[in-house]
Amino acid sequence: MSGTARGWSLAAGLTVAGAVAVWLATASLNNYLLTLIAFAGINVILAVSLTLANGLTGLFSLGHPAFMMVGGYVAAILTFPASRKGFMLPDLPDWLAAQQWPLLPALLAGGAAAGIAAVIVGFPVLRLRGHYLAVATLGLIFILRAVVNNLDGYTRGALGLSGIPRLTDLWWVYGWAVATIFVCWRVKQSSLGRTMMAMRENEMAAACMGVPLARTRLLAFAIGAILAGIAGGLWAHLVTNLTPTSLGVFLAFQIVVMIVLGGQGSITGAAVAALGLSAIANLLRPVEQTTGLYGLTQIVVALVLIGVLIFRSQGLFGSREPAFLQGKAVPSLPERQPATPDNTDPQRGST
Amino acid sequence: MSDYLLQQLANGLILGSMYALVAIGFSMIYGIVRLINFAHGDIAMIGAFTALAALMAADLPIIVVVLAVLLVGAAVGLAIEAVAFRPLRGAPQVNGFITSLAVSVLIQNTGILVLTAEPRSVAFPAFLSQPIAGLPITVDLVDVLIVVLAIVLMAALGAIVNRTRLGMAMRATAENLDVARLMGINVNRAIMAAFAIGSALAGMAGLMWGARYGQIDPMMGFLPGLKAFVAAVIGGVGSIPGAMLGGYLLGLAEVLFVGLLPPEYAGFRDAFVFGTLILVLLVLPNGLLGRAAEDRA
Amino acid sequence: MPVPVLEIDAAQVWRGQTHVLHGIDLTVGEGEIVALIGANGAGKTTVLMTISGLLRPRDGAVRYRPHGGDPVDLARLAPEAIVGLGIAHCPEGRQVFASLSVRENLLIGAYLRRDRVAVAADLDRVVARFPILGERARLPAGSLSGGEQMMLAIGRALMSRPRLLLLDEPSLGLAPQIVETIFDILGDINRAGTTLLLVEQNAAMALELAHRAYVMETGRVTLSGAAADLADNPEVRRAYLGAADETMAGR
Repeated sequence: MSGTARGWSLAAGLTVAGAVAVWLATASLNNYLLTLIAFAGINVILAVSLTLANGLTGLFSLGHPAFMMVGGYVAAILTFPASRKGFMLPDLPDWLAAQQWPLLPALLAGGAAAGIAAVIVGFPVLRLRGHYLAVATLGLIFILRAVVNNLDGYTRGALGLSGIPRLTDLWWVYGWAVATIFVCWRVKQSSLGRTMMAMRENEMAAACMGVPLARTRLLAFAIGAILAGIAGGLWAHLVTNLTPTSLGVFLAFQIVVMIVLGGQGSITGAAVAALGLSAIANLLRPVEQTTGLYGLTQIVVALVLIGVLIFRSQGLFGSREPAFLQGKAVPSLPERQPATPDNTDPQRGST
Repeated sequence: MSDYLLQQLANGLILGSMYALVAIGFSMIYGIVRLINFAHGDIAMIGAFTALAALMAADLPIIVVVLAVLLVGAAVGLAIEAVAFRPLRGAPQVNGFITSLAVSVLIQNTGILVLTAEPRSVAFPAFLSQPIAGLPITVDLVDVLIVVLAIVLMAALGAIVNRTRLGMAMRATAENLDVARLMGINVNRAIMAAFAIGSALAGMAGLMWGARYGQIDPMMGFLPGLKAFVAAVIGGVGSIPGAMLGGYLLGLAEVLFVGLLPPEYAGFRDAFVFGTLILVLLVLPNGLLGRAAEDRA
Repeated sequence: MPVPVLEIDAAQVWRGQTHVLHGIDLTVGEGEIVALIGANGAGKTTVLMTISGLLRPRDGAVRYRPHGGDPVDLARLAPEAIVGLGIAHCPEGRQVFASLSVRENLLIGAYLRRDRVAVAADLDRVVARFPILGERARLPAGSLSGGEQMMLAIGRALMSRPRLLLLDEPSLGLAPQIVETIFDILGDINRAGTTLLLVEQNAAMALELAHRAYVMETGRVTLSGAAADLADNPEVRRAYLGAADETMAGR
């Protein structure tokens, strides 16, 4: 899908094929299945958007659920029927309580709010590295949860917002998934994307070449957060209720699993892994329910993740995209070395 | 000092004791393998359920329960190290902590699978919940025991780390793994010792949590575990005295935050802790007692 | 040549993805001081790491003959086992344990030795050789100066009672007078019966101290022989001893 005509026509073809699949699905499948597919699509948005920070730029964030919460609450408050707002959300200012927006602008507003939140927290938090960044972004989930809990005049606190209109359908999710993949793909193939990958490989060398580190980091984080905010809005209008604990650490973990399985930095990998993982979860859920073995799905997922990290840490696709999706015009960077330890293997001879 | 404040300080000391015990493990393990073990808090959960099993099923005397919890904690730590972390030694740091997150999810959900997510109450022997008479504040025997036991364990840890051959090997390995090997130190054994000791202390903290708050569930370990990590960061990750100090400071700060501010702020308790984390990492990246940073900020 | 204690035979060593040693042959005789000189990146440190077990050769052999007995293949052993055979490696850049006390650093050098009385005696001997270490015994090693840390690193290595001592750039970053002192001490250590394999950038000093020497270039041995002969070799003089070369100067 790079700048070549062949790439564009392939992209258009895939998009149309997907749309046909969605049309067939909506025409033939029942509501329950359609909802499951919509969740899988939201997972694609989440995984692909997190790829920018976690995979390409090497900023390991676990904060996606926090940005989903921002986007979800903002969008839900905007679409909520004005007639019930005064009663359920008494602290909303009058001008806001009178609003009742359609889905698209509400989603965009949610995404914008999540982006602004990402920029605000990004200034301090993105100075951290490695697992310090991971824990700090995990902390964002708990911080936001506390904020939502305590702004109960705006959010209904721990009770959660229920009765959100069910505006999300498979078409909405599909459209945003395509948009997300498109945006992230273009970013990856652009000079911004190459800058991000350069930072991931060697921050100091990138800085020496004049890469604006702080701005690039913030951009990767904020673009991901905007898309996560939109995904949060889609989620809220699919599930129709949103509580401070709906989007938490488990979700953060699952998104991370998707991008690790897909290969960190690979958009195709993230999308495929998101669909695959959603399918596995949906297949295992009935098993859990009939056998009463609750927790089974997460156990399987965790074991798969540990296995992948030990035996194939580059995931499905490494940092690359499959060759048939690559146009010829833009050469992709060589795949990231799986950074094996050098010779000084502490294991040697002692086990 | 008002009785109210005194009560808050006592509560902070008790909470801080538990944070400190968990934080020590974070620091020991980080110090030696440069890895944050997200599953560390879940070992506390396993410790709590071990205590429950030992008390309910076997009705063992409390001292035996304590020993059993220490042993089970150590065993779980060793198992995690061998299965999940040793194969990844030398791999990028990111892989290490994703793995530990996976181990955490694995432990919690195995707990849910086996025990269900329902909270259970732990019935400790009644004499433990007797209030200490003659004090202006409410302190039960169990509270005193928590604080005393934590101090005893930390003193024992200090003796092991600073006075024994194993402790010296652990410190040397933490500082420079390759050179430690050149001295003839079996670094695998030193790493296993760090996991075993740290995890035993975490298990103990879980027992204390159950004894003080009465209810335990398979997810109980994660959030206090993360907070204990915050405590370790405050003290300086990698520093054992720092972890102790950070644990008590965070315990006191959290209790005082809730106790001294108007009640409407109480809900921001977790936000306060994680806000503190971000602040400390930015202002004092090496913590209060930590050595020079590697790549944390 | 004296009885060999160490023989490296056609060793091929890789560090990660990089092929560093392309078939090295090297022999160290009992009681010798052997110097290994060469430019940065020639693979000198890699040779020492291969002997002490931090690296494992992909091909070739590293044979050690303790007390003239049957050869042991070091390539199969872990570093912690190799120390026990009497080979101590004093790594580049000193690498003392900065947070441990000076005394602890010395004791950790004797980590594998269980004979407390003999260890205490050796501790006294090392402190007698390096009095400054006795004065600073309780201080963290990180507080010592560079030269003192070098002495500590040598003392630490001696605490394992090595028969073969590997030294990586003992002169690195130290003032000239201190380097003189260190090299004098190395001579003493050798006269007391320890075999030395010395890696040095400072070729002049190394060739003065050593009995024999090897010159390495990009992972291969290019020259070897008696140290005095090498010191007179015009190529060595030009490349490593900084001597002005007439033909070059004439151009």
